[in-house]
Amino acid sequence: MKLETLKSLRWADYFIYTLSDPREFVRRARQKDPDPFFISFLIPCIVVLFDILAFSAAGRETGFFYYKISYGWIMLFIIALFKIGIYSSLVDLTAQFFGLKGNVREIIVVLNFSMFPGIFFLPLYYLSSVTGFAPGFFYVFFSIVFFIWSLLIFIQGVSEIHSIDFGKSFVMVVLPGIAAVLLIFLVFILFFIMLAGYAA
Amino acid sequence: MERQRKLMVAILSMLALIAVIAVVDIGLKIEKKTSSEMKIQIPEFGPGVGILRVEGPIEMSGNTGQFGIPNGAESIVSALGEMEKDSSIKAVVVRINSPGGTVAATQEIYQKLWKLRKKNIVLVASMGDVAASGGYYVASACNYIVANYGTITGSIGVIAFSPNLKRLFDRFGIQMNVIKSGKYKDILATHRDMTAAERSLLQEMIDLSYHKFVKDVALGRNMNQDEIIPVADGRVMNGESALKYRLIDQLGTFEDAVLKAKELAHLDPDAPVYEKQVTPFQQLFGSLKSLLSERYLPGTGHFYNPHRIEYRYIQ
Repeated sequence: MKLETLKSLRWADYFIYTLSDPREFVRRARQKDPDPFFISFLIPCIVVLFDILAFSAAGRETGFFYYKISYGWIMLFIIALFKIGIYSSLVDLTAQFFGLKGNVREIIVVLNFSMFPGIFFLPLYYLSSVTGFAPGFFYVFFSIVFFIWSLLIFIQGVSEIHSIDFGKSFVMVVLPGIAAVLLIFLVFILFFIMLAGYAA
Repeated sequence: MERQRKLMVAILSMLALIAVIAVVDIGLKIEKKTSSEMKIQIPEFGPGVGILRVEGPIEMSGNTGQFGIPNGAESIVSALGEMEKDSSIKAVVVRINSPGGTVAATQEIYQKLWKLRKKNIVLVASMGDVAASGGYYVASACNYIVANYGTITGSIGVIAFSPNLKRLFDRFGIQMNVIKSGKYKDILATHRDMTAAERSLLQEMIDLSYHKFVKDVALGRNMNQDEIIPVADGRVMNGESALKYRLIDQLGTFEDAVLKAKELAHLDPDAPVYEKQVTPFQQLFGSLKSLLSERYLPGTGHFYNPHRIEYRYIQ
C-alpha cells in the first residue's frame, strides 16, 4: 500500500502546491491522500542538512565538518522539531485567542512544508561560492529571500486553514514570533544581569 | 499533473545530487588541507610569507573562465593588492611557471610588484619549469630570484608574428575584399605579404618594447643595461647559465625560495605561509576550460593571435 502510494507520486503534489499555490496545498492536505503529517517532517530534516552544508561551504573547512553532518545534523534536527512544536503551538494558541478553532496538527504540516523553499538555498549559494562571486552577499540575500518566501507560504496556509483573510493571518503568524523573540530577549537580559550579579 | 509530479521528483533528485556534491567537495577540501606539506605545527596566524602563482601564458583576463582558477594579470594584481593590505604578509614568494605573455599584462604585474617592493615587502621569485620572457620580466621585479638548475629562463625579447597564408589563398583562388580607412589598418593581415613600411612600423614598436624590457630588468636586478644586452638577444638559458649571467641569484627549489623570503624578511623559519585555496571544482573547471579554450589551435599548443606584441618564449 505504501509502495503504491510512493509509486503514484501523489505525494509530489504537496511539494508542487507548496510552491505554486499554498491554499490548494492546504485543501489537498486535508484530503490526506496520502497523509502529509509524517512526510512533512522530511522537509525540516533536509533543510537542516542543507543549512549545515551551506554554512560549511561558507566557512573554514576542518575535520569538524564530519561531526557537523552526523551529530550536528541530528542535534539541529531535534532543535528544529522543538522550534516547530513550540511555534505551531503558539500560532494555534493565538488562533484560539481570536476565537478560531484550534488545529495544531494542520499547522505543523503547513509550517513544515513552508520550509520547502529553504532547500533551494544550497544550490544557489553553492553556485556563488564556487564561482567566488560575492558569496557573502548571496548568503545573506538568499537567506532573507527564502525566509520571506517561507513566511508567505505559512501565512497563506494558515489563512486557508481558518478561512480568514491574509491580514488577520499575518497578525496570527507574526504575533507569536514577536512575543517569542521578546521573551527570549528578556530572559537573556535577566541571565546577563544574574551573571553580572554573580561576578560582582 | 503526472508530468508536473515527475518534474518535481526530478528536481528533488537534483537537489539530493547537489547535496552529495557539496559533501564530496567539502570533504576533498578538508583532505587537501590535512595532507598539505605545511603541517599544523606552523602557527596559522601572525607575520608570514604569502604565495602568489603566475602560471601559464600571461594575459590580462586569463583563460580559465568564470568557473576556473583566476589566473589573468588582473586577478594577479588583485591578489597582490590583498597581500599589500594584509599586515601579516611580510614577504611574498612569486612562483612563476610561465613562458610569458602580452606586453601590457606583463607590465601590469611588474609595476604592481614594484609597488610592493617600494613598501619594503620582500619579494622572492621562484621559477618553475619555465620562467622565460614575460615570466622573467615579472621575476626581475623581485628582490631575489631562485631558479632550479633546469628552469628555462631568459628569452629577453619581444615578438609579434602572424601566418602568411597568401600562397595558400592563391592556390585555392581565395581573395579578400578589404576596405580600410588607413594604409596600416590591416597590418599583419594573413592574406597578403607584409610591406616594407609595415615591417618598419612593427619593428619600431618591437624595439620600443624591447628597450623597456631591458631597462626594467636592469632596474630590478640592479645592473647596467650594458651587462644585460649581450644576453638579451632572445636566447633561452637554463638556471645554471642564468646564474652565471647574474640574471638570477640562487639555484634552488620552491622551498628554498620560501626559506630565503623568511630570512630576508627577518621571520622565523616556522613562520606561516599563506596561500589562497582553490576548490577542487575550480581546479576541475579551470583545467577543462583551458583544454577546450577556442584560442588554442588544436594539436599545435601555440597561441594564435595575429594582433599582439608579446614578451613570450615560443616553445
